[in-house]
Amino acid sequence: MHIPDGFLSAGVTGVTWATAGLGVAAALRAEKTDSQPMPAGMLGATAACVFAAQLINVPVAPGVSGHLIGAALAAALLGPWRAVIVMTVVLAVQALLFQDGGITALGANITDMGLGASLTAYAVASLAGRRMGSLRGLVVGGVLGAFAATVAAAALTGLWLGLAGLYPLRPIVQILFVSHVAVGVLEAALTGAVLATVARWRPDLLRGATAGNGPAALGAIVMGAFGLAVAIAAFLSPFASLLPDGLDRAAQRLGFSARAAASWPAPFPDYLVPFIASAGIATAVAGILGTVCAAVVAWGVSRGVRSADHDAHR
Amino acid sequence: MMPTGRRAAGVLAGGLALVLAAALSPAGVDGRPVPAWSWAIWIAVFACALRVFVRAGLPFPEALRRAGWLVPVVAVFAVPAALLAPAGARGPVAAALCCRALAATSMGAAVATWLGPSGIVAGARYLRMPVRLADVLESTLVSLAVVLRQVRAMLRAREARRPGFGAWGDLVSRPVDTVRGFGRLVASLLLRALERAEALEQARRARGGEA
Repeated sequence: MHIPDGFLSAGVTGVTWATAGLGVAAALRAEKTDSQPMPAGMLGATAACVFAAQLINVPVAPGVSGHLIGAALAAALLGPWRAVIVMTVVLAVQALLFQDGGITALGANITDMGLGASLTAYAVASLAGRRMGSLRGLVVGGVLGAFAATVAAAALTGLWLGLAGLYPLRPIVQILFVSHVAVGVLEAALTGAVLATVARWRPDLLRGATAGNGPAALGAIVMGAFGLAVAIAAFLSPFASLLPDGLDRAAQRLGFSARAAASWPAPFPDYLVPFIASAGIATAVAGILGTVCAAVVAWGVSRGVRSADHDAHR
Repeated sequence: MMPTGRRAAGVLAGGLALVLAAALSPAGVDGRPVPAWSWAIWIAVFACALRVFVRAGLPFPEALRRAGWLVPVVAVFAVPAALLAPAGARGPVAAALCCRALAATSMGAAVATWLGPSGIVAGARYLRMPVRLADVLESTLVSLAVVLRQVRAMLRAREARRPGFGAWGDLVSRPVDTVRGFGRLVASLLLRALERAEALEQARRARGGEA
């Protein structure tokens, strides 16, 4: 899933580096303000283990093997923001010393496998773990988080490659989706096996999924859920059916569809972005923009309601 | 000789600038013809990469071989892109993408070979990489050699106990054994690495290091 140098356009490279930079800065800030500081040596040891675990190929069938990615494991052990730091370092070592992933593409790889995978894994694991409670909940949450993280990272990878103009968006998304569902199942199984063993031997090490309810943990859950929503929007919107829905069909049959008129001109009519020529990319971008708008409106409303509540209680 | 401090920062910054120049030169992906200056940049950067490999102490044939190792990595992405390109443009797109990616990747590999892990960290620190990130990067590189040696030893020991089966079976024929075996191996690796890091931290503090 590592994108090498020379396959992303200047625009996509700039956007992904900016996203990765903001994400890593947020992770460093959250780490700095953490009430329980962790020595750099511990984070380095975990990063080295994640790196080494990626090198252990597990035979899947004769001639086919797979390996762990490790973002969900890091998130379960260290919490979301430290997992972002660890995955950033792992990806940087891979790019700089082993040419596994490009240097100019490092921003995209950090955004996909560092930020996207770690925060998605944490959000899913944390929500599932809190619902179930106990150590078993943590392991089950880790398994679900590992699967979601792999699929989300693949969605983001496909999106960057499609937006760079290297491949048509629809085929690349389809190929990555089909292949990474299987990779996600393997990642979930391997992550679950490691977490179950750690839970039996040293349960105190699984502090990541219960890293607290502070603003940093809540921020990670919100960003992870948001990342998952964006990935779903990018992944599934190009597959949306072009057939009319129930109301449209009824309107066509009864002959009143021609009377439908917009009250004001929509910025993205029929989920298409006017300045993007490719229909597949335009639909995916419209899906992402819609998700961002919905998230911003929901955040604004929740802030408004909270401050109104606060004023009422004073 | 491996450069340190300011020199390492200069090599790192210069190398990264060349990687950027090669990776972002137009390669005809958008349907337009590849400009002549793109080919000139890729050839110049590739030649520069070979020169840096030689400067790092590798003989020229070995430098070429190192660059050749990168071809399969590049082809994995370039071949599908060429197949999906319009019928007439497949050859030029494939050639341009391969050259672009090979030039950029070779330059990255050459700089890493010249600087080595400690040179990269020293250069990154000089270029004002966030201190915490540089600390974690440095301790990762320190732990990595130990952890990789341990992985090899553990896999060898595991294989020795199950002659004829490799380190474990495969997921299709022995799913539970394989997954459980992997879980135990990685978990014990993790515990050993964390316990070692904990012991090092305690020793550092015992000698008066800051918390």
